Amino acid sequence: KAPDLSNVNKVSNVFEDVEFCVMTGTGKHSKSELESRIAECGGSVVQNPGPDTYCVVVGAENVRVKNIIASNKYDVVKAEWLLQCFQSKMLVPWQPAFMIHMSPDTKEHFAREYDCYGDSYTADTDVAQLKEVFSRVTDNKRMPLDLIAELEERYLWNSCQLSIFRGNTIYVDCYATVNEPRTKVHGTRLSIRALELRFYGARVVSHLEEGVSHVVVGEDHSRVKEMKALRRTFGKKFKIVSELWVTESVKEGIPKNENQYLI
Amino acid sequence: MEKILNRICPVSDPEAVYFLQVSWEKDLGAGFGIILTDGGCAWTGTVSETEISREAADMEMNREKYVEELKKALILGEESAGKYNFAISRDEENALCHFSYERNLKDGSFQLGSLKLQKVSHPADVVKELLSHCLDCLGRLQVENEHLQKENERLFSDWSDVEKRLEKCVEAKEELEADLYNRFILVLNEKKAKIRNLQKLLNEAKESAADT
Repeated sequence: KAPDLSNVNKVSNVFEDVEFCVMTGTGKHSKSELESRIAECGGSVVQNPGPDTYCVVVGAENVRVKNIIASNKYDVVKAEWLLQCFQSKMLVPWQPAFMIHMSPDTKEHFAREYDCYGDSYTADTDVAQLKEVFSRVTDNKRMPLDLIAELEERYLWNSCQLSIFRGNTIYVDCYATVNEPRTKVHGTRLSIRALELRFYGARVVSHLEEGVSHVVVGEDHSRVKEMKALRRTFGKKFKIVSELWVTESVKEGIPKNENQYLI
Repeated sequence: MEKILNRICPVSDPEAVYFLQVSWEKDLGAGFGIILTDGGCAWTGTVSETEISREAADMEMNREKYVEELKKALILGEESAGKYNFAISRDEENALCHFSYERNLKDGSFQLGSLKLQKVSHPADVVKELLSHCLDCLGRLQVENEHLQKENERLFSDWSDVEKRLEKCVEAKEELEADLYNRFILVLNEKKAKIRNLQKLLNEAKESAADT
């Protein structure tokens, strides 16, 4: 049902000759409020989008909105955009953040300006915008640690204090029997060392196998002999260091030379 | 007043067991009292500050060093067993008891001190008192032990609680980092794809310009 907008006082001509179809309102602004404010700005309002409709405005999504989207004929815009137009008293350019759905034409236009996550090819971004862009990345794969290490190296972020042990694969001697995670000794300082290593970028493994770069041992040296014997069978040798290597590296914020801490 | 009870065996009769209680105020060097008992009889005596000074002087020993030796001999008990000898000789009626203590050396020994102990008329009272003292000590230690054990349990549970929390923080950090890097890479690669595309267009334009 169309509202009676005949006696609305015009306050601007921002929407002169622009036809809108407001589908739903928001919690704060009802559909009829949005419609009368469009009229105040010189725009016209229809109840069903037609060939002359500029865009469909949506506050909350419902079945009708879904059908409009499915038709793929109209640009469906968030009510926030309209509110920004009212506030700035101008036709605010559309940005990916405003778009709920785009018609094929608009999509093509956007593809020239923005990537598929809505990040502009030409305009600088800022923290808020990048957050918005990131929130639109739905592919939430976790990046594996070795790729992170590579990336940090490429962009020289590896001097970051949180990356002290990046790229290292470390076995912490906190199991009563080597390579038996079930025999973990609880409540020892070494389990804290293991967490610290992880916090500062290391990959901590529960098995001492080929590829391990360091073994960290505590006060108990009873398994060192066994681990050294195991090392002789490996092609790539690991270093056996005392837990001081971890604490002192963390304290100084840089990876310390292992040779001072060898066991 | 501090007291310590030790078990000693005289050199003359290693099978015999005597109980030696040494009591002193603040510092052993300021004089001390001795009670010696074999369970049946008891003897008592005191060593004054001046006697201690005299003994040290007789031995031409630094007084402080001498007091240290006394502590080791009379107080430490089990810890310094074997390093010190005790000689006990009692007369026929058990009225007097000669008690001496000496430091054991590789080649012989030297006497640290000796005194005559007087017989106590009611040895049962002395033994009772010693037993009470032991029970008091035991009770106190038990209370302390329980307290320390509770404290230890509390510390351990706090520790494991903090460890679990730390682990959660580390996991959250790892996840956040991996997730952010993933998003970053996707957006970055979009930009690179655009650059590649523009390069391609540029090359095409160059080629068509060269053709004409």
